[in-house]
Amino acid sequence: MRMKLNYYCKQVSLRISTVLMGILLMSTMALAQRSVTGTVTDAGSGDAIPGVAVLIKGTTVGAYTDENGQYSLSAPSEATVLVFSYYGYETMEKDISGLDVVDAALAESVGTLDEVVVTGYTTQREEEKTSAIVSVRSDDFNQGNINNPAQLIQGKVAGVTISRPGGNPNQEFNIRLRGLGTIGANRSPLVIIDGVLNADINTVDPNDIASFDILKDASAAAIYGTQAASGVIIITTKKGVPGSTSVDYNGFVTIDYIDQTTEVLGRDEFLSFPGTQDFGSDTDWIGELTRTGNTQVHNVSMSGGSNSTTYRASVNFRDVEGIALKTGFEQLNGRLNLQQKAINDKLTINLNITTTLRNSELGNNGAFRYATIYNPTAPVRSDAPEFERWGGYFQQDLFDFFNPVALLEQNTNEGNFTRVLGDVNAKFEVVPGLILSGRYSQQRTNEIFANYTSKQSRGTGADRNGLASRNTNQFVNQLAEISVSYETEFGDLDFSVLGGYSYQQFDNEGFGAQGGDFLTDAFSFNNLSAGADFNNGLGSIFSYANRNKLIAGFGRVELGYQDTYYLSAVVRQEGSTRFGEDNKWGTFPGFSAGIILSNLFEVPGIDYLKIRGGYGETGAQPAASYLSLFTLAPGGNFFFNGAFTPAYGPNQNPNPDLRWETKQDVSIGLDFNMLNYRLNGSIDYFNTTTVDAILPLNVPVPPNQAPITFTNIGEISQSGLEISLGYKIFDNANFSWESSVAFTYLIDNTLDVFNGEGTVFRSNLGSPGQNGTPLLLIEEGKPIGQLYGLVFEGIAADGTWIHKDSDGDGTPGEDEDREVIGQALNDWQLGWNNTFRFGDFDVNFLLRGVFGHDLINTFRAFYEAPSSMTTYNAPATVTDVRNLTDAPIFSSYHVEDGDFIKLDNITFGYTVPVDGIDWMKRLRVYVTGQNLFTITDYSGVDPEVRLEDNPNNAGIGDPLAPGIDRRNTYFRQAGVTFGVNLGL
Amino acid sequence: MQKILKHGKIFILSFLMLGVYNSCTDLDEEVFDRVTADNFFQSDEEFISALGGAYSALGNNWGGHNGTWSTQEVSSDEFMVPQRGQDWFDGGIWLRCHRHEWTPTEPWLNNSWNSLFSGVNACNRVIDQFSALNVEGSDAFIAELKVLRALFYFNLMDIFGNVPLVTSFDVTEPPGNSSRQEVYNFIESEVTANINQLTDQNGGAAYGRINKWTAHAMLTRLYLNAEVYTGTARWSDVITQADAIINSGTFSLEGNYFANFNADNSGSAENIFVKVYDRVFSGGFNIPAMTLHYNSQFTFDLTFQPWNGYCSLQEFYESYADDDVRRQSFLAGPQFASDGSRVIDNGAEEADPDGPELTFTPEINEHFPNALRQAGVRAVKFQYTPGATQNLDNDFPIYRYGDVILAKAEALMRLNGEGDGEALALVNQIHERAGLASYASITFDELLAERGREMFMEAVRRQDLIRFGKWGDEWDFKPASDGEVRKLFPIPTPQLDANKNLVQNPGY
Repeated sequence: MRMKLNYYCKQVSLRISTVLMGILLMSTMALAQRSVTGTVTDAGSGDAIPGVAVLIKGTTVGAYTDENGQYSLSAPSEATVLVFSYYGYETMEKDISGLDVVDAALAESVGTLDEVVVTGYTTQREEEKTSAIVSVRSDDFNQGNINNPAQLIQGKVAGVTISRPGGNPNQEFNIRLRGLGTIGANRSPLVIIDGVLNADINTVDPNDIASFDILKDASAAAIYGTQAASGVIIITTKKGVPGSTSVDYNGFVTIDYIDQTTEVLGRDEFLSFPGTQDFGSDTDWIGELTRTGNTQVHNVSMSGGSNSTTYRASVNFRDVEGIALKTGFEQLNGRLNLQQKAINDKLTINLNITTTLRNSELGNNGAFRYATIYNPTAPVRSDAPEFERWGGYFQQDLFDFFNPVALLEQNTNEGNFTRVLGDVNAKFEVVPGLILSGRYSQQRTNEIFANYTSKQSRGTGADRNGLASRNTNQFVNQLAEISVSYETEFGDLDFSVLGGYSYQQFDNEGFGAQGGDFLTDAFSFNNLSAGADFNNGLGSIFSYANRNKLIAGFGRVELGYQDTYYLSAVVRQEGSTRFGEDNKWGTFPGFSAGIILSNLFEVPGIDYLKIRGGYGETGAQPAASYLSLFTLAPGGNFFFNGAFTPAYGPNQNPNPDLRWETKQDVSIGLDFNMLNYRLNGSIDYFNTTTVDAILPLNVPVPPNQAPITFTNIGEISQSGLEISLGYKIFDNANFSWESSVAFTYLIDNTLDVFNGEGTVFRSNLGSPGQNGTPLLLIEEGKPIGQLYGLVFEGIAADGTWIHKDSDGDGTPGEDEDREVIGQALNDWQLGWNNTFRFGDFDVNFLLRGVFGHDLINTFRAFYEAPSSMTTYNAPATVTDVRNLTDAPIFSSYHVEDGDFIKLDNITFGYTVPVDGIDWMKRLRVYVTGQNLFTITDYSGVDPEVRLEDNPNNAGIGDPLAPGIDRRNTYFRQAGVTFGVNLGL
Repeated sequence: MQKILKHGKIFILSFLMLGVYNSCTDLDEEVFDRVTADNFFQSDEEFISALGGAYSALGNNWGGHNGTWSTQEVSSDEFMVPQRGQDWFDGGIWLRCHRHEWTPTEPWLNNSWNSLFSGVNACNRVIDQFSALNVEGSDAFIAELKVLRALFYFNLMDIFGNVPLVTSFDVTEPPGNSSRQEVYNFIESEVTANINQLTDQNGGAAYGRINKWTAHAMLTRLYLNAEVYTGTARWSDVITQADAIINSGTFSLEGNYFANFNADNSGSAENIFVKVYDRVFSGGFNIPAMTLHYNSQFTFDLTFQPWNGYCSLQEFYESYADDDVRRQSFLAGPQFASDGSRVIDNGAEEADPDGPELTFTPEINEHFPNALRQAGVRAVKFQYTPGATQNLDNDFPIYRYGDVILAKAEALMRLNGEGDGEALALVNQIHERAGLASYASITFDELLAERGREMFMEAVRRQDLIRFGKWGDEWDFKPASDGEVRKLFPIPTPQLDANKNLVQNPGY
């Protein structure tokens, strides 16, 4: 079965060979002909293989097999040998002398080195690569309730951290490659989908992805310049194959249930604390807030084509229900990938269009906080007249204390997203080896957020007598690129060169309004002008528009000698409007080399050994436009001649020198195959330094106009080790077991220079009562993510905190006694994947572990004190501090070890034999369990590393304040998925 | 032929590429939703709006939380922000403020510095622009801006003492400290030099702007504290400046003390210079949020839930006689909702003898960590109208005629002793307006107490306590402290970090 799944991923290179073959076919029309037919099958399974290239040796005549593995070609009468080739299989030659029917049974190739990796703007064979590039094919993807492309490779790639604490289906995954290399705009890798730079990962449905190729080091990524400092993820979608028509259905249903929350006290335990109030009920607030989430996903695709036209069309429907009330989304996605050849197959035109429509219920993350701390004796609703004003929900006039069920049920919070990505590109082969390419693509995202808070609500937007808001955003990214490439051979020397120009323009605009004081809830957010706030001047309205551009020239030279020595050099010169006027252009070079040592000398037991290494520079842009300009902004009004007049003042200092950040990256790596290709692996080491990191710097006013200037001041260094191993432990016809490990060790991720001030406090615990409590210490030359606070030593007999007197001045518990009490970012990470096959059955599981990070459990820091229980419920761990009389004070007591090992997913599959059914090619059913167990000591919602503080829905927050488990984390979920893959 | 055609294509394509490359290398930023110096200052209205930038900086300094106002008030004996169990610990910043144990890292200090200097800076910038403009009428604007700048410097000099003196917009080097004396001299000379170019109109078009009377009031207060600032007393100058206001006949004491602080106080005959606030146009005055109990929301039908923070000290509250009308500046005792029912606080501590029925007690059980939620009387001197938002409509008086009267009285007493008859008459104007029987005589201690009662919340108490030598004394929840070093606040750490030319104040 492997080959059919592999089938799609080979298309990039297949396309190239198709071009070449088409050219060859054209030039041989005039000779005498005879007809040869046959069927090509898999030597192991006996299954037909579609798409196999069948060429007459020594000539240029050829054909592809169709969906039944059959081919038919006209051969010149003197032809004697046919060559059958297909990626993933050993190439086979067969004598056809005197034969009209020639069948072939191809054997799977033992090595995987003929697989193709996608690098910047071009492809290479695995063997030719000189950089740390990792490819993940669709047959290695994670399975289960997967609704975001990032989930497909979570835990699969050494050096890539994919994190989404909690189970919020509307929250994006935070992707980090090799730690934090920039604090600027592109902390997550650049995403490229089918050659479109800066594509939104949400424009592609997971079902349509054929492969991920991840450029981990700068020697390769430098060709993407200022956008590549955090690496590059290249996504290739599935394409049609000539001569093979197929219709596929993939679908699953998932039942998700609540997996982990902060454990809180039940009614009786709660009341056992003095001062607690009994409202007479017994409510499981977390239970009230949650449900069984039912998700269903359906995908139908069809693909096929002739030698000149191929297509694949796909429709995806997703109905995802979160485990919290009023969270989830419905999404409809359509994609058409069309390829047309013309002018004797010299011209290839690709048209890729995709549209994604998503309607989300966004819920209210504050509800998780109040569900955790709400009084367990309070009822959800009450008929008592005092609660009529709250719509019959039980509410109390206490500070920061809101009925979480009411918060969700009385409020409507919706998002409506339309994402369209259209791409047209063309390649023209002027002479063999010389290809001109051009591309234009446009990605358009429209967002409408709509929110209404009922007149009877308490909490967010309460006291406004109904509060409605609508915000819209539109983001348009345009990309135009042209390039020339030339590829040739001089004897043993393979040579290729590429040069091009790239223009990107990003236009962002938006509009929003918010106002309250409605007569009735009936309008919801649909009639804002009915809110009296707008008549009274209390409504708010905003709009914005900005534009930025990236313009670049890029080039690449690649040399290969004797299929053993490889050299690659890339460069991108790129300018950004976001840079200051004196520093508009940056140059980003990359060099790398590789030698296949096993071609030079024999090493016993080693089949293949390559050493490669390189140096490269990549960049990062400022996080927003206009940071280099001197701008003025309206700042309130002042009373002038008896009327209010808008006041304008400077809000930003100019910095005409503002320039790109530069990440300098030295990488070396080793690729090997051993034990007759049964064990393969890679080891990579990297050491990078980011200089000129763009940071907001505090500057004195005067002489400056504003207290912040964005300046190239920071330096960050990183180093790490990545090991990937794959081992075919058993590989028989009836039983196979493949095990692979992706291991990451981030040795160092240090902020060497921040702002020259030495130490700076970062982040803040917050309200209630702990506003002046910094949680992190930024210290130059120390790791990013130092958790900082008092050191807990115990609780005194009188119930007061005992904190360490670190400065030894005799007064413990002062600010000066704070120390580094934890490390927010993980240093070890492990993904262990296993695939078993027994005949038609398959089992796959992925264990993922993240180690070495600590988390601040903010629920405990705020509420784990009996004195706060007059209002709030507390985490169950409050029983450990029953004698505490002090108010909560943040200390090392609230910092917990975040290490975990988790069974991310386990899948049992059965491939139903379809030999007797001629209309069906493939049928597989499977059941997947996700998050079935997690081993951790962490007592909070989710031990997953918190990469950024207070992230928004797009996962973007403060990267210098990791490690804080905030109270609004969506509860973690686990689930079971039942799925089917059907091929017609 | 075929070959030529091919080469021709390459040539055309290469040419096209070059053309595209050249035309598409423009990287100038296009702005759409903001203004830069390039597309602003084209019209009179735009210049006036820049003038507004200088005035709007006032808003961050009077009547808001965590800035200049908090600095002046919580460090005095008027206000404290106790830690109420889980709420209001905030890293101890308000406890230290009240106990005079502050460090240079306190955020309220840095906020104060930043907002006052942003005012200085805005003035410098607009003075520069108006000077370059050199059109008719710009001299009057420049004079107004210079006195406004002096007002910002006055507060910087009062709080931090040795602040950098920057009077030009085109300075590029981070400035070092000037001595308190130098800053004092600058303020005095700026106000004196420009006073005659200021309008003598009060109210109307001049409302909320610096006029001649503002300048006199500034000098009155500057000279009143001159001995503290420079070591040299200027009592007779206080009298001269106060008389300029008193004898002008422009101002008079309002019969109703609270007319000066009502939501619609723009007609006050007593307010000399105010920061104009408005719930729609000019927000930032949010004292009800800062001081009221969470559930006082129902007393005033507020559109927000207050924070239950600031309360007044018992001994300060009790310095008012029972029949002093100004005692209505406080909310004390049982609290009622607007419908007449008792306000209930279900979060009341078990230890609270008043139980859940909301009752503000003058006595505060402790400063920290477990001050009762209902402990402490709350400030209601500025009127809270039903349906008030977090942004009050009340204008904040920065200089008030009542203060000028008391300043003149004090100067007379300093010159002529406690028995000065004119001083007694002046103080009695204030005292009688509060509904109280006249003083027969008055001591300095009584004068300080009367100033406290009259000027509560108007951000002068710290100056008074220092001037009367009481700053280092013990008062509710404040131990005796170093009254000398702590007369000045330290230069905030972020400023020292950002500007290596700054030197910390002595003793910190």
